[in-house]
Amino acid sequence: MFRSLRVKKQPEKVAPDSAAISVEQLSRDPTIPITFRQINSLPENAKRRIYRALLPAALLTDLGVDPVSWKGTSADLRVRLSAEADTNGVFLALRDGNGGADDVLRIELADNMLNGVDLNFIQISDPHGTRYSIDRDEHDRPTHFGTASRNLAEEVKAMHAGLAPGQTRSGLRASGLVFTHLEGFLATLGHRAYFLEPLTYASAWLFERRGFAYVRGHKLMDDIHCEFQPGGRLHAAVDGSSPFRQPEQWRTVRGRAWAIHDGILEAIGARWDGLRMVKQVGKHSGVVTFPDAVY
Amino acid sequence: MKISESIIGRATVIRVAGSLDAQTSSEFSNYLTGRIGAGNVNIVLDLSQVDFMSSAGIHAILAALRESRQLSGTLHLAAAQPGVERTMQVSGFTSIINLFPTVDQAVSSFKDQA
Amino acid sequence: MERKRQITRAAELSSLADFRDFIEASCFDHPAMNDRVLYDLKLAVDEACTNIITHGYAGMDPGSIIVELEIREEQVELTITDFGHAFEPRNAPQPNLEAALADQDPGGFGLFFIYQTMDNVDYACGEAGNCLRLTRRLPTGKG
Repeated sequence: MFRSLRVKKQPEKVAPDSAAISVEQLSRDPTIPITFRQINSLPENAKRRIYRALLPAALLTDLGVDPVSWKGTSADLRVRLSAEADTNGVFLALRDGNGGADDVLRIELADNMLNGVDLNFIQISDPHGTRYSIDRDEHDRPTHFGTASRNLAEEVKAMHAGLAPGQTRSGLRASGLVFTHLEGFLATLGHRAYFLEPLTYASAWLFERRGFAYVRGHKLMDDIHCEFQPGGRLHAAVDGSSPFRQPEQWRTVRGRAWAIHDGILEAIGARWDGLRMVKQVGKHSGVVTFPDAVY
Repeated sequence: MKISESIIGRATVIRVAGSLDAQTSSEFSNYLTGRIGAGNVNIVLDLSQVDFMSSAGIHAILAALRESRQLSGTLHLAAAQPGVERTMQVSGFTSIINLFPTVDQAVSSFKDQA
Repeated sequence: MERKRQITRAAELSSLADFRDFIEASCFDHPAMNDRVLYDLKLAVDEACTNIITHGYAGMDPGSIIVELEIREEQVELTITDFGHAFEPRNAPQPNLEAALADQDPGGFGLFFIYQTMDNVDYACGEAGNCLRLTRRLPTGKG
């Protein structure tokens, strides 16, 4: 029994700092997590074996990729793996086999400051869907998903085609499979949770459905929902003043997401910034900040 | 949470309806401070409509008790539901704060003061 | 009769009523439950969540609190998880009221209430959040 609880000054690391991994270390307590930095110290082929578990076999075979060799039907290598020694993360990209310029799947994971896991990037795109160049502005500079600059003309087209902010193509409806595999992989490494920062309101909502809770930003999501209701300040701000602030947008996840992407949170003195979400491996938190939502 | 007030005999009877938790207790505490500061130093808190009270409610009551005593008054509790009685029992403050079964009995206790 | 339920809300004071209502709705019709146990569970959940809201997420845009309730044959288990600042349990004998009043530690008074109403209190912080586990034995027989 303990007498009192005092806030800790320094959070503890989830896994020890260690540049390499040895058989001796692997023989120790299997509940202590392994970091990406440790995996990346292994020989290239060992890394390939380990990181293979990140990609669902069913998704690969559907796309004509051998799940073991990562090669397509023309014996071309369809998966790019980037996991350099002395780095703390892994990047995997699955290329479309039909000469398409974009990747079907991109995933980037990294050790965070506490040696837990951050999912820094995940995108799953339909390679045959129409492409909208929201990722490059009119001067052909990268927009960084519309956060650094915007291509408004392409964004309007993408919005009317049913995409969410940040998407160049529609999704593949494979995210459930990918996330399930990701959790299995992280459990193998000994991790009990992973974290991410949602790029948009639409992605935050999708992550809620996958069972994510909030480290930061649950109140903001509640406030956004409240203020988009009739009588709220965000409801009043979807006043037709821009193509991204049309009146009916308050009703849907994507509509709200585009309005927020357009900066509408200024109406409540907020910004889409600083949200952080967490997924406990094998658990669903049940967070629903937009009940009965239409995507 | 709703607060209403009436004068009965020598006491100011303050009736609270709802829950006294960390969210509602600061409003409650501010109200009590205001009324005591305005000269209502003999207080009966009618808790008959309070369905829940946490340590935040206890804090607010203790603060009001201190303030009223500093002005030579005091504060009694009345008509607590079993749940609120339980909170009082857990806090151990039943020896410091008087808890009466009814508002009338709490009000009458002020008549006996010198 | 075993039962398992869960609720997740933002770590804000306005969520306290939801957590108490959740306990009420989850327990009120259980045959092994009585009013005293039900109120004590509500009190413990309220005090624990108040601590998290007031201190656990201090200085941050508040995240989530997950409350899980499991009614087993002889006891109720409440698990309260948050993702804010970790607390550090200071080891010492069980707190008493004077110590709780004198203690300047955040949540000292609330923790005292939790100890008075629950049979066992455990706290652990890890990768998957900060986790407070509370156990209350159920009365044998009805009433």
